[in-house]
Amino acid sequence: MAEEYPEEEFKIAKKEMDRLVYESLKGREVKPNVMFAKMSDLSRALGISKGMVKWSRVNSLWPMQFGLACCAIELMGFGSARIDAERKGYLLFRSTPRQSDVMLVAGWVTKSMVPEVKRLYEQMTEPRYVIAFGECATCGGPWFESYNIIRGIDQVLPVDVYVAGCPPKPENLFEAMIKLQEKISGKIED
Amino acid sequence: MAITRINIGPVHPSTHGVLQLVVDLDGDTIERVDPHIGYLHRGVEKLTETRMYMQNPPYMEKLDYLAPMSYDEAYVSAVEKALGIEVKERAMYIRVILLELQRIASHLFFIGTIGNDLGQMFTLFMWAYMDRDKVLDLLQEATGSRMFYVNMRLGGMLSDLPPDFEERTLETLDYVEKRIKEYESFIEKNPVFHERMKNIGILPPEKALDLGVTGPVLRASGVQYDVRKNSPYYVYDKLHFEIKILTKGDNFARYKLRLLEMRESIRLIKEAFKRMPAGDALGQPVKLRSPPTKNKIVCVSREAPKGELMMYLVADDQKPYRLSIRSPNFINLMAITHMAKGLRTADLFATLGTLDLVMGCVDR
Repeated sequence: MAEEYPEEEFKIAKKEMDRLVYESLKGREVKPNVMFAKMSDLSRALGISKGMVKWSRVNSLWPMQFGLACCAIELMGFGSARIDAERKGYLLFRSTPRQSDVMLVAGWVTKSMVPEVKRLYEQMTEPRYVIAFGECATCGGPWFESYNIIRGIDQVLPVDVYVAGCPPKPENLFEAMIKLQEKISGKIED
Repeated sequence: MAITRINIGPVHPSTHGVLQLVVDLDGDTIERVDPHIGYLHRGVEKLTETRMYMQNPPYMEKLDYLAPMSYDEAYVSAVEKALGIEVKERAMYIRVILLELQRIASHLFFIGTIGNDLGQMFTLFMWAYMDRDKVLDLLQEATGSRMFYVNMRLGGMLSDLPPDFEERTLETLDYVEKRIKEYESFIEKNPVFHERMKNIGILPPEKALDLGVTGPVLRASGVQYDVRKNSPYYVYDKLHFEIKILTKGDNFARYKLRLLEMRESIRLIKEAFKRMPAGDALGQPVKLRSPPTKNKIVCVSREAPKGELMMYLVADDQKPYRLSIRSPNFINLMAITHMAKGLRTADLFATLGTLDLVMGCVDR
């Protein structure tokens, strides 16, 4: 019934499309270390010890309210009454990237969404962390064969913690957040 | 006066996902709204053509992630219709019970987010999400998963309901019923809520029919249309329930209608448990190769929590040749271009919130 198209043509077109998207993003490299990205800079500026800086950084992380797709519903579950993330130092979800330092990429990232994600990441204050939440953000998930999806957010942003699951439960995100805290405090090496 | 054009989104906390709105303003009054969609497009309909029939339900569930079971069920019944498979009677009752539980969960989420859209951050959301979790616990018990339950099989279910499920469901439903009363007193005794919701975003019935909106949005405009009554499927014609309608067609009516619908769903589930026959409810196990079908075109219509959902399936040998989905969210979204005219900017989000959109279903 269906007319067969040659497979090669499709593969070449797909490859070309991928190349074009990444070429267009090449010039917009993320520059680290704006002002107080280094712990020693901040401790010198404020006149406090490095341990103090580390402690305050670990215990007051502000995630950004950035839901893309299904996983965003479970992300809201993380902030809701049953999990109560505030007891571990995760305060309210912020609506603007300028007030937040953890970006939770929850959902599949389409090719038209990549520039927006990059722009949001650049607007966040240093130091900033990224959690890839769910299969889609980790590796493309069920859509890995789709023509409009990037296979994993780590192709665009540096990711600190990956969470597996489709979708992960809010408890899994809680564990990932604790992992991130351990990473910031230096208990876990990169 | 000069027209200002502003851009809202695609990442904005009030647009319920990734929706871009280009708004023309005259002062603070909206002249024109232009929704730009497609930021979540991943080609579901095309992907289904590369999979066997029963490999597709997980893709269907990710369309509307607030009511995944309704979409799963609609797709599976389209396949059943194409292959000519009868559903067992007990399985029909189980499906009705689970679908209505899913409707309650979806509407509870709406009540949570409408508070956020009106600027009342998180109190209402915390309440509603807590109750939604209780309903999800029931679904998890019945299917094994919290959010995406691939539990429909051809001709029946993956598994029967667990023992004592009825008692626990009735207990939870009594709790939810009590909470609905609390929501009413909590929300409707607040004068700010009335100011923000009443006589705002009016959709007259003629216009609603012209635009093709369905579901609670249409019924709040005073049109009595519900697929469960108009062309009943499963056992909906044996159960007693009413289609609630409200005539005003404004934001308040759309909010109120969802509360009324939740009460009807509770009534439906209670009756379905009483009438449910004993027996076998298991469907066929998933085989890699389904029975072959040639050039059969079927269309099923279902009442999803957001509106009328249609699955148009052109069945080929082992895979769908074409699957077209009539998404209620996509069509309801287009009503915003009509409703937003003359509103204030802040009311745009309240109006958008009462449409209860899921962008994953709009973009597909």
